[in-house]
Amino acid sequence: MADWDEEYDRTFGAGQSAVASGSAAPANPFLERIRDAARDVDDIDIDELMAPAGVQAGVFDLGDSSAQRESPIQQLIRHWMNERHAPDILPIQEQLLASILDHIRRQSEAVQLIRSDPGASQEEHFRIVLVQTEIERIKFIVRSYLRTRLFKIEKYARYIVSNVDIQTRISASERTYASKQARILDNHFWVTVLQSLPEAQSHLDDTPIFMPPMVTEPDKSRAVFVHALKQCPPVILPDGSSLEMAKDHISLVPFSAVENLILREEVELV
Amino acid sequence: MSANGGTATHGPMARVPIQYAGRQFGDLATQLILEFRRSTATDILLKYNDSLVRSIIREQRDLERAAADPLLGAPEGTPPPPGLIIIHTAINRNKRCLLAYHSHRVERFSDMYWAVGGALPHILSTPDIRSKLSAHRVDYLRQYHDSVMEYRADLGANELDIMAGIERPIKDLNVLVKVVKDCGVIQTELGSIDFKKGQRFMVRRADIEHLITQGYLEEIV
Repeated sequence: MADWDEEYDRTFGAGQSAVASGSAAPANPFLERIRDAARDVDDIDIDELMAPAGVQAGVFDLGDSSAQRESPIQQLIRHWMNERHAPDILPIQEQLLASILDHIRRQSEAVQLIRSDPGASQEEHFRIVLVQTEIERIKFIVRSYLRTRLFKIEKYARYIVSNVDIQTRISASERTYASKQARILDNHFWVTVLQSLPEAQSHLDDTPIFMPPMVTEPDKSRAVFVHALKQCPPVILPDGSSLEMAKDHISLVPFSAVENLILREEVELV
Repeated sequence: MSANGGTATHGPMARVPIQYAGRQFGDLATQLILEFRRSTATDILLKYNDSLVRSIIREQRDLERAAADPLLGAPEGTPPPPGLIIIHTAINRNKRCLLAYHSHRVERFSDMYWAVGGALPHILSTPDIRSKLSAHRVDYLRQYHDSVMEYRADLGANELDIMAGIERPIKDLNVLVKVVKDCGVIQTELGSIDFKKGQRFMVRRADIEHLITQGYLEEIV
């Protein structure tokens, strides 16, 4: 976000001379105009996508009225980072994704509309480029988020199929994907290896002693860096000691210890 | 490795099959694992080692026969004799190695699949890759592709193409590209463009990203 702001400011310098805006406020006239104009030009609301926390009042307010309010994009980025760092599959943010995808669609439609309007001014075209770029960047995050989940689902497909708890954390299409993955992998193992082995060995669910189980499970003991978003209740570490994190505290702890804090959105993984 | 090594258990050796044909149990499986470790370390996809896999499967059958040997059977209520435990351990280990080898290859192919943006025909038509694929693997990839496509359709591909790159975020909307291979007429935001080798275009990234990943276009930076 930070480097976007810089770019924005740089382009603003060029934009000012091109657009020759006279009347607006001296500090950031073009920026101000974009902010103000955003509301009357159809549905383009750059603000909404870019507003820093607190500025934007709750169009997407999902109920977190306590401390600071995150914009949907900040929420998305947080969930994306959590998902990328967590060894296990975290609950899918369907509501958030749906609202962001809806928003992307509305913005794209608005962009199309203005593009096809021959009367659109140079300034509007300039704004369109900004909006389009931002849309692409947000799509990137959504894509990366979903692909991270797919990667894990693929890896743990057999585990997911046999575990009801984890199935509640994934979406319906992800469940379909998981069961298909599990099936084609089983099938592949069958045709390449198992069918040639003697009958007694041709099963995938052996539980021999002294060996890890056949089914790959998420390794919840993996260490993760965790950043406390607020004062957290103490958590018990595997060695029995307890850890209490104040706001902005950063620790390296096993994932299993902070799993619940992540679900309650009291910490984020970094 | 001798290809016919696994048949040496017929005869008296079958009674004490701790070692046969100059090999210990699991030697072959170790070779297989070594091969995939090498493949990971060098990031090169090696050819499927069919003969080694077959030899291990043969070893498995021999082991199974050896385990069924009545001389190894223990009377009811007594712990199984050490010989039997060793054989069973070997069986489990070999099987695990076989599965690990195959799952390693499956993972590599999935990586490859995503690296070209899910362009299955592109993978299958590249002779170098095709020669390393067994028929089973082609089947697998097809099914894999179907399942990914189904997921993508569920998601609604209009707004978000799940297949596009996730390696680095976009800095610019447009990109300057050089055409490396002819790829025919492509629909873009600016109308349709006929990409011919050697030409350069400034195009919208989202329109041609898949052509970059498949190596038809090259980004000029």
